[in-house]
Amino acid sequence: MQPLANVTSLKPAARSGAVQLTGVGQVYKTSGEGVLAVSDVSFEVKPGRFVVLVGPSGCGKSSLLMMMAGLRHPTSGTILVSGAAIHDPDPDRVGVVFQEPSLFPWLTAEENVEFPLTLRGVAKKDRRAKAQEALQLVGLDGFGQRHPHELSGGMKQRVSIARGLVQDPPVLLMDEPFAALDEQTRMTMGDELLRIWAATGKTIVFVTHSLTEAVYLADEVIVMSPRPGRIVDRLEVALPRPRTFEMLSGDVFGSLRDRIWRHIRKSA
Amino acid sequence: MTGTLGIKAARVAVVLAVFALWEALARTGAVNPRLLPSASDTLAMLGELLARAGVRNDLLVTASEVATAFIVAVPIGVLIGYLIAENRYFAEVVKPLLFFAFSIPKSIFLPMFILVFGVGFSEKVGFGFFSTIFIVIMSTTTAVESVKVEHLTVARSYGATPAQTAFRVYLPSMLPVLLEALRISMIFNLTGVILAEMYASRDGIGHQIATWGENFQMKQLLAGVLMIAAIAMAFNELVRSVETRCSHWRT
Repeated sequence: MQPLANVTSLKPAARSGAVQLTGVGQVYKTSGEGVLAVSDVSFEVKPGRFVVLVGPSGCGKSSLLMMMAGLRHPTSGTILVSGAAIHDPDPDRVGVVFQEPSLFPWLTAEENVEFPLTLRGVAKKDRRAKAQEALQLVGLDGFGQRHPHELSGGMKQRVSIARGLVQDPPVLLMDEPFAALDEQTRMTMGDELLRIWAATGKTIVFVTHSLTEAVYLADEVIVMSPRPGRIVDRLEVALPRPRTFEMLSGDVFGSLRDRIWRHIRKSA
Repeated sequence: MTGTLGIKAARVAVVLAVFALWEALARTGAVNPRLLPSASDTLAMLGELLARAGVRNDLLVTASEVATAFIVAVPIGVLIGYLIAENRYFAEVVKPLLFFAFSIPKSIFLPMFILVFGVGFSEKVGFGFFSTIFIVIMSTTTAVESVKVEHLTVARSYGATPAQTAFRVYLPSMLPVLLEALRISMIFNLTGVILAEMYASRDGIGHQIATWGENFQMKQLLAGVLMIAAIAMAFNELVRSVETRCSHWRT
């Protein structure tokens, strides 16, 4: 863990929020044999952009995200976040939002959001203020004292997002955060996320296997092939913001989704 | 205790009925009163025993042995269990062996404890420790396995140190299972210490009970049984109430 003093000493460029992958590959070791999970992936995410990684199961999109978070290490290539290589988890540069069961059930929503700050020894009063601010941002004002089992699936993911944002990292990595939610909640959460994104200006890299979700949320969609995962296509989503429900049935949306689907179907 | 008022009342009624039956059997002479003194006489004897300085001292001796064995066995057992569960290779080697060891009745080792430690405090504490540690180790491995990988990943992604991971993720995840383990290990611990006292000791409530039995002092014997039963149940319920409070989030 880095001491807090280092946060302020980081050069402004170090908080830019750009993400850059160059020739990233990863080899898994399973019972002595190496399996190539990700192969030669290069792309760049400009600060403040919303980029979605899609691909069939096992294409290594989650692995890529874990590498960007510093939770796993690429076998080859480099990953730069805000201009510096990432070797270990660095909550100052990157916040991570996981799938559903990631909240600590013994803590209240507020304590869960405070958790990253607690680890760094931030004073109780400051922690609470920041956590409340983050909960307010995700629309959970007044729910801070509930425990996770008293919250709906959508609310739990809001808490997770608040936890990812509480240290104000320039980059937010999201690993299929809405996969466990029902369709209706999922749509609502998508709109909520876009609102939060617009309000905070974060760089977001989002992993999903839902094509609709990908096109609806993204500035750019990166399509990956099955193992070994590599980039097969990159699409700019030229739909205006804010995105609306009506766009889902439009021609632009349909043709983008079809284009992604053709890639995925080819590989299935 | 859970249950509606009606169920609670029924429970009390069952206990009262047992005592009433006991009283009736003794009073009517259906059972030889020398073998089974009446409940009221036994309760009166219980009061009398508790007033005796000697008995209070015996209780104190037993309590200190039980507490010592518990305080030594639990942290050591938790540490060993944690280390076993954390190392997959070690766990695979050791776990079945522990299960084998656990299946052996601990009482057959008591003579060895007497030979090694002699009759006295350390023999009884040693045997209490021995009776307790296996269940603590085994429950701890289960508790460690109940820690979710997702939670560990979250801690790591926010830069938790090993100590922070231990105290902020492992411990709270394990607490409900651990408390249950404490409760059960106390039963083993108490059994071990009292057995050692009954078998070879100069003091302690177990020793008293054995003596009363040998001297055919049924009233004292039964009063002693009630005493220990009440103490054991009180401890059990105490830990259970903590357990309920600490695991409210487990739904």
